[in-house]
Amino acid sequence: MSLLRSMTGGLRSLFRKEQVSHELDEELNGFLEMAAEEKMKQGMGRKEALRAVRLERGDLEATREVVRSAGWESFVETSWQDLRFAARTLRKSPGFTAVAVLTLALGIGANTAVFSVVNALVLRPLPVERPKELAFLENAHYGPGQSFPNYKDLRDRNQTFAGLIGYRIAPMELEMDRGAERIWGYLATGNYFDILGVQPALGRFFNQDDDLHPGASPYGVLSYSAWQSRFGADPAIVGKTIRLNRLPYSVIGVAPPDFHGTELFYWPEVWVPMMMEPRIESNSWLDNRNTWNTWVVGRLKTNVSPPQAEADLNAVAAEMARQYPDVNDGLHFKLAKPGLIGNMIGGPAKAFAFGVLILAALVLLVACTNLASMFTARATERQREVAVRLAIGAGRGRVVRQVLTETLVLSLLGGAVGYLLASFLSQALSHWRAPMDFPVQFSVNPDWRVFLFALGGAILAGTLFGSAPAWRVSRTDPNAALRGASATWGRSRLAFRDLLVVVQVALCFVLVSASFLSLRGLQQALKMNLGFQPERVATAAFELSLAGYSEERGRAFQQQVLRAIQQLPGVQSASYSNSVPLSIDQSSTGVFPADKPDLRPSDRIGVTFYQVSPGFFATLGTRLLAGHEFTWHDDAKSRQVAIVNLAFAKRVLHTDNAVGKRFRGGVMGPFAEVIGVVEDGKYGSLTESQEPAVFWSILQSYNSTTTLEVKSSLSATQMVSEIRQAIARLDPELPLYGVGSLEHMLGFAFFPTRAAAIALSAFGILAIMLAATGIHGLVAYAVSRRTHEIGIRMAVGARPVQVLRLVLGKTAALLVFGSLVGLTLALAVGQVISSIVYETQPRDPVVMVSVWVAIALLGLFASWAPARQAMRVDPMVALRYE
Amino acid sequence: MADKPSDLVQGTLDMLILKTLALEPMHGYGIAVRLEQMSKGVFRLNAGSLFVAFQRLQRAGLIKSEWKATENSRRAKYYVLTDQGRKRLSSETREWGRQVAAIARILEAS
Repeated sequence: MSLLRSMTGGLRSLFRKEQVSHELDEELNGFLEMAAEEKMKQGMGRKEALRAVRLERGDLEATREVVRSAGWESFVETSWQDLRFAARTLRKSPGFTAVAVLTLALGIGANTAVFSVVNALVLRPLPVERPKELAFLENAHYGPGQSFPNYKDLRDRNQTFAGLIGYRIAPMELEMDRGAERIWGYLATGNYFDILGVQPALGRFFNQDDDLHPGASPYGVLSYSAWQSRFGADPAIVGKTIRLNRLPYSVIGVAPPDFHGTELFYWPEVWVPMMMEPRIESNSWLDNRNTWNTWVVGRLKTNVSPPQAEADLNAVAAEMARQYPDVNDGLHFKLAKPGLIGNMIGGPAKAFAFGVLILAALVLLVACTNLASMFTARATERQREVAVRLAIGAGRGRVVRQVLTETLVLSLLGGAVGYLLASFLSQALSHWRAPMDFPVQFSVNPDWRVFLFALGGAILAGTLFGSAPAWRVSRTDPNAALRGASATWGRSRLAFRDLLVVVQVALCFVLVSASFLSLRGLQQALKMNLGFQPERVATAAFELSLAGYSEERGRAFQQQVLRAIQQLPGVQSASYSNSVPLSIDQSSTGVFPADKPDLRPSDRIGVTFYQVSPGFFATLGTRLLAGHEFTWHDDAKSRQVAIVNLAFAKRVLHTDNAVGKRFRGGVMGPFAEVIGVVEDGKYGSLTESQEPAVFWSILQSYNSTTTLEVKSSLSATQMVSEIRQAIARLDPELPLYGVGSLEHMLGFAFFPTRAAAIALSAFGILAIMLAATGIHGLVAYAVSRRTHEIGIRMAVGARPVQVLRLVLGKTAALLVFGSLVGLTLALAVGQVISSIVYETQPRDPVVMVSVWVAIALLGLFASWAPARQAMRVDPMVALRYE
Repeated sequence: MADKPSDLVQGTLDMLILKTLALEPMHGYGIAVRLEQMSKGVFRLNAGSLFVAFQRLQRAGLIKSEWKATENSRRAKYYVLTDQGRKRLSSETREWGRQVAAIARILEAS
């Protein structure tokens, strides 16, 4: 009540200022008159009486001010004055303002952009009901997947979950009027939508009853974007039939626009009940306890904590391990936050994002030191003005508040521009599709959290860099300043600015060395021997069993396509295989040395395998170290043969000369004889060490997944359209995927390294820009302050070199000292970077030396203009100035 | 001789003004004179602290004001105690009495 009255009282004074102030005047005048009359009754003259009252009761002008400033509205009013004053001073020096706003915009923008990624990865919950209750089930030893029978046991036996859902990423072939296309979808258990608590945009979702018997529920739920883009937002889509993998499914509903399933980075186009798995994928694993294909997410019951749920799951796991010791031995579960396949992607992605956030914070810190030093210089220049204001009665508090208002106005401006920059950047990032045949996409669009972050960052930055000049101003001595003794601020103030420069150079050193390290790592990675030559190799892939080909027809078709491709003009060499190294689709198997007859699991060696046609190594440019490539006679009728890489030869066969040696492929698999040895390469990722790999003849072990490799003299784009036409002539319906150049496809493997290098270089460049302006500011300021002194020195005969030493000596010392501090920090930071970016050595001397040289050059460059100005000082002009 | 408001115990000025107004509505100068008379000249109040207190009390809803003619037919702003102000005055008087008694006991004890 009284708060309300205080509010209305204050608002009245704010908006009816004239009337309120008039009333106060009248009241105070009345007071004065009455008091004076009293005195006059005692016989004083009027003038004397007024004087006496003033002495007794205080000056009425001052009283008016005191009463006015006592209410809260006066705070608003003076803030408004300060704001207008700040706006005026900032407008008066547009260059200064622009540099400051730009500096802040870059600093805050970088932070906001990085934060929006962190926000999307870590902070923003899935768009489902009560997302905090969801948890991803992780297999402590085997990774993210569970077998489907295990899933069912967990679902039925646990006590702590309101429900467990299972799902699997599955490619499907969607037949449209214009031909079949490969799309990506989810196989999901019937309870998927009910447990998540998502409501359909159209129609209905499938439920538990739709998912009871294998093959009995040919239903599809479309994603909103698939409905929009593939079906023209047809309002009558529900009930229509679509064909997936050449079988009819009826569309029963459309998901809401913001729902993209349960993984943040993967946007499926269709959901199909899990029981349709045997129809969607050619082999059924629904009853196989040793196929760990199902990802499981559970919704905790109310009031159940994650540790309780883990304990419960592991009690069930122990039971399952006793029941099925051969597959479930050592089964153990952990819960993880859903959205990033548990900790498999989540762990490294979060670590990287937070690492980059720290670097971004460093950039902002550099920006703040820069601005602090700019503003301190300005505060010094304005000391006369401040002194005048103090002398005519402004409180120090008011002066400090005015300085802080100015810096806050700037930082909010900078924050606004930075937020816009970050929004553009994250818009671009949200629309960006990774260069691979996989719907990797995730939304980093800024939301209220990002906005608050930017606002908080701006206010923090403003207070941070504003406190230095504010402190400076609060210590102004009006007497000394008005006497014109500008040098009296002397040593201590300069020491403070020097400290800022040291901090700045040190931070800059850290950031620049971080970006140099990562760039060097990227350079190493790009030069690294991959074990094949991706230049001018085009690829295209198709899946024959999804397209309804039997094995026999599939084999024939693969060879038909290869012959057709080989006829194309410009083709130098062509082959096909189940997959190519460093693509997303890698397979591994276990092999045994031939001298281990009893096949104990401990003797099993995991190797990457490929099924390849003759000509594969020639096409990919993989060097054959011994033996020869497969021929068209290495087929089902002849003995089992294999080509291995050098690491395989050493690890499995214990020899460099493996040709003619034999080994066993997999449990009870046939013996295979090595007919060739090829160089080592990279298969799963760039960061792996030399892994053993084996190549089978695809003629001896059929695979319906087919990737064509074509080396030609044509450009990849030209070649690709030729390949498309050639295949379409043989089967116009067959959908192709992964079409493009091999180099382009490698984008997937290079993505983490590239992303890190780009982010780190961006920060490095920002830091360099900021440090350059910082050093420039320092030297320019020093020169302008000492113009007089330089003039005298030159007048008495100082040579330009001596002047130069005078101006630059201190800067150089600061640079060296800052670099030393930075070097120490950089060595520590380098450890972190080397864990993210491949091929970096945290103590790489080349990097450290070049950073040092870069900083020295930077210092020289930044102080060039002001130093030249110092040398050109005309003693006559400089001395006349005072 | 205490002639500065800072010599008043913090918050007592408000209580004294309320007390003065409990008798009858009064204008600013009247209140100043009455306080001076009642304190036998101990409190001579500065106009600044007086008018700030009026504003504060008014915003707190303890007093309200209206413009009226004085006995010398001059226009002046008269302050009137509200019901809320009356309640506050009695509670503060009670509290003051308790405190003074307590302080007196402490001072006499040693």
